[in-house]
Amino acid sequence: MTKSRMAPLCAGIIGLFSSTGLAVTASLLLALAMPGAATAHGVGYRISSKRAVTLEFYYSTGETMAYLEAKAYSPADEKNAFQSGRTDEFGRVSFVPDFEGEWRVVVKDEEGHMADAVVPVTSEFLSGVSENGVSAAVQSGFPQGVDLVLRALLGVSALFNIAVLARLRKCI
Amino acid sequence: MHISEGFLSAPALAAGWTVAGAGVAWGLKKMDAEEVVKVSMASSVFFLASLVNVKLGPSATHLSLIGPMGLLLGWASFPAIFTALLLQAVLFQFGGLLVLGANTASMATPAVCAYLIFGRAVRSQNLNLSAAAAFAAGFLSVLASALLVGSWLSISDPDMALTAKSIFVAHVPIAAVEGAAALFITLFLKRAFPDMLMGVDRR
Repeated sequence: MTKSRMAPLCAGIIGLFSSTGLAVTASLLLALAMPGAATAHGVGYRISSKRAVTLEFYYSTGETMAYLEAKAYSPADEKNAFQSGRTDEFGRVSFVPDFEGEWRVVVKDEEGHMADAVVPVTSEFLSGVSENGVSAAVQSGFPQGVDLVLRALLGVSALFNIAVLARLRKCI
Repeated sequence: MHISEGFLSAPALAAGWTVAGAGVAWGLKKMDAEEVVKVSMASSVFFLASLVNVKLGPSATHLSLIGPMGLLLGWASFPAIFTALLLQAVLFQFGGLLVLGANTASMATPAVCAYLIFGRAVRSQNLNLSAAAAFAAGFLSVLASALLVGSWLSISDPDMALTAKSIFVAHVPIAAVEGAAALFITLFLKRAFPDMLMGVDRR
């Protein structure tokens, strides 16, 4: 092969390498400029200025309903959970309502116990005007104190009244 | 021991009401009307027992007194437990109205079984035999009740079959407490009011 025939071949090989090298260099620069851009989104966090509702769930024995399945339902969509997760060690669950109306929070354990809380969220609460509007409106499902004693007496009284009625019916 | 609303499927609810309905009807038919005050008194104790918390290590639970109910009332346990559970659902929000049938079946069936299996031994003159039978009635009736609760949940959702086992195991400590309670109640009644253990069936 003569020298005049080798010259275009060498120029072609050098050209190929130099164009590949440029491409690799450009890719490296791009990767360095945007780390992780090819595999994941960038993430960040900030403290939310939105007001949250926090509920505490407990059994009638006083135990907290800790680490149990908890779901919050918005009045805008009562079938699909707005938020799904678990209560914390102290039986607490928090959610940030974005809609006015009655929110439901359901906490279930695996032994057939379920707490179903209804939280009325007002427009004042959403706009931040009302301080304690939500928490003051929510009532416990299980009676406490004097209310509990009165209900217990009412129950016993009802049972004995049934017995008296049954005896009277027999006498008549 | 109470199952809340929202856990059981329609077939399980229907089965619960069938068992409870049949049991209540049979219990009322067999019950001596003269003994209705005794039944209401036992029902009141059952109603209030749910408010008595028992601390067992890190957890707490409440008494059910299923065994003593069975030993005292026999078949009348069904109407007595049904009425008490109805009042607990309305006044304390324990359980619920739709699941009342399943809850009655879960608690009254073991009570009646305790009466049928251990009733005669509890009434015997042999104090040791009576005490052992009373403890067994209290202990086993709670475990049987836990088994039934787990069964209702498993029928409604097959994924809860493992949960049913854990419910059974979790009730072993309170079953021991209930056994001791049944033992003391029986021994006390044998001394103070022996007629109370003679049942409330028509003679």
